[in-house]
Amino acid sequence: MNSGIGRRLALPSAVLAVGALSLSACSDSGSDDVEGSATSGEISIIGYSGIWEEQYREAVIDPFLEEYPDISVDYNSNRSSAEMLSAIQSEGGNRTTDIAIMDVAISNGGNQQGIFSEVTEEDVPNLANVNEDLVNEDGYGPTVMLDAVSLLYSSDEFDSAPDSWEVLWDEDYRNQVNVVAPPSGIGINLTAITADMLGEDFTESIDQAVEKLQDLAPNVQSWAPNPDEYQSVMTGQTVLGVGQNARAQYYADDSDGAIGATVPDEGTVYQINTINLTEDAPNPEAAKTFMDYALSAEAQEAFAEAMFYAPSVDNAELPDEVSDRLVEMGDDAVIPLDQEWLAGVRDEWSDRWNREIVNN
Amino acid sequence: MSTTQAISTREASGRAKPTGTQERRTARRNRLTSGGLLVPALIGLTISFIVPMLWMIRMAFNEGAGSGVVIETFTLQTILDPLTDSYYWWVIWNTFSMGVISATLCIIVSYPIALFLTRTMSRWKGILIAIALAPLLTSDVVRTYGWMVILSNDGILNTALMNLGIISSPLQLANNMSGVIIGLVQIFMPYAILAMISGFGRLSPQLEEAASSLGANRFTTFLRITLPLSLPGILTAFLLVFVLSISTFVTPRLLGGGVVQVLATSIYDQTTELLNWPFAAALAVILLILFGTVVGLYQALTKKLEGE
Repeated sequence: MNSGIGRRLALPSAVLAVGALSLSACSDSGSDDVEGSATSGEISIIGYSGIWEEQYREAVIDPFLEEYPDISVDYNSNRSSAEMLSAIQSEGGNRTTDIAIMDVAISNGGNQQGIFSEVTEEDVPNLANVNEDLVNEDGYGPTVMLDAVSLLYSSDEFDSAPDSWEVLWDEDYRNQVNVVAPPSGIGINLTAITADMLGEDFTESIDQAVEKLQDLAPNVQSWAPNPDEYQSVMTGQTVLGVGQNARAQYYADDSDGAIGATVPDEGTVYQINTINLTEDAPNPEAAKTFMDYALSAEAQEAFAEAMFYAPSVDNAELPDEVSDRLVEMGDDAVIPLDQEWLAGVRDEWSDRWNREIVNN
Repeated sequence: MSTTQAISTREASGRAKPTGTQERRTARRNRLTSGGLLVPALIGLTISFIVPMLWMIRMAFNEGAGSGVVIETFTLQTILDPLTDSYYWWVIWNTFSMGVISATLCIIVSYPIALFLTRTMSRWKGILIAIALAPLLTSDVVRTYGWMVILSNDGILNTALMNLGIISSPLQLANNMSGVIIGLVQIFMPYAILAMISGFGRLSPQLEEAASSLGANRFTTFLRITLPLSLPGILTAFLLVFVLSISTFVTPRLLGGGVVQVLATSIYDQTTELLNWPFAAALAVILLILFGTVVGLYQALTKKLEGE
């Protein structure tokens, strides 16, 4: 029998619940039922933390709350999509999350487990504007934004952006590169990029890519940089790195150009975020209202300008200075990579990194 | 027995009987009271520790299918997988050696401080002990970040050594096991000091004076008297630091730079990134066995020392 982790938590949760219930019985919370209509009640959103949360609140959530004053939003942040899925799984039958914004590779797992529910254009009218390649074929939550992996570089060290990923292997940069190793998505995506760069079909084998990445090890200062790969370039601790284009572009502005981000000639791969309605969401109607707003041209443009994520809807229009700095749908630089397929090999690729690259 | 004696005995026992019953009642009431006082703690312990622990052990016999999917079954395979894999033996070895090295170094640097704090008659003794334990007031995360600032390539230490012309390129002090050990030793020093101070009860200045008066020099006195008598404290401190080291996550994660793979970091990856809960539980059970083995060794050594 297959079951989510939430069900396994049932017994200890029940024991804890007895204590929690007895405590709550003593208090006079007086809270009302949060379930409301499409324009009222509280919705709980789970999404990324840090700068992403800050910008998403400002660009999307706050304007949404202005438009729908009777809806309130409880935002719960997590560092990674896997942590988000784990948090939702642990809710079990006592669902508290309405909406999850997470990486497509992880949300696909949630779709298969019945954690997320299907949505239609009737529920979410702006679904009609989502690019046809970014709509989930089975009707689950669509892509809400696109990003891509980019090469990070120190503007002090490079007069112009490096045009090849090969610069990461340059002997001049011994111990001056940071790469986040798998299971992080950055390391997984770098494997696909490296394989493609070598002409290797990564759907068949990554042997050549692994061998090439082994040669990268002497240049790597940390496979788990702290606080993150962007800060280490900005502070001069490293010269090069691999990161997400959107965050890097944001930090480039925030640091007065101390860090640069570019997509080298060999290409990149997408990092796709979907917006998902949970099965048994406490307030599904208001949650759909939010989904619709998040997929509106207004919200998509605002977040693209704030954080350089490419819109997933076709009716969003961006100023040139913004669109020039993000990787949009259909960009020639993008290496085709089936995210659902990738989710299936993530464990295996992570394992090979651990055994053959990081600890070789 | 004469009749008079028999009557006296009966009278005596007749007088004593109510007293004994009363004592037994009092003792029983005391036992019930103390037992009753333990009930809330036992319930708390059961809910917060025993149930999750049993649940974790049970989880280790399930199978993980990725993305948080747990296949409910009863198999030894999930525990056998890491135990039949050379990579995980290497991770277990890393965990064990990290614990042994950091505990040993921690004892070496903490022992003189603990000995001094035990013996000093200074009126500042309380303050000195407080200073030795003061690092506990800041969290492990903060202290680990502090070590990152000190040990990194462009950190205080490397910059100072390079400015002094002692080295021409930065020493690799962070993002490896050396950095992790340095961090752990400093972070767990207060625990070692505390454990040794409380375990130095058998130390007696009179015995050392007696050894000196019999002609032993300071080194011999230390080797033959002080060190053996302080062994219980040393063993307790070693066990404490070892256990804290093998289960710590923050320092290996932050100072290890991804290169230092120990059971705690592997468990983190399995639970938060790969969502393979049964495999993570299996690794946690292995950690528990490692911990239990060392506690068993500690008990055996302690008994042996007490026997001597």
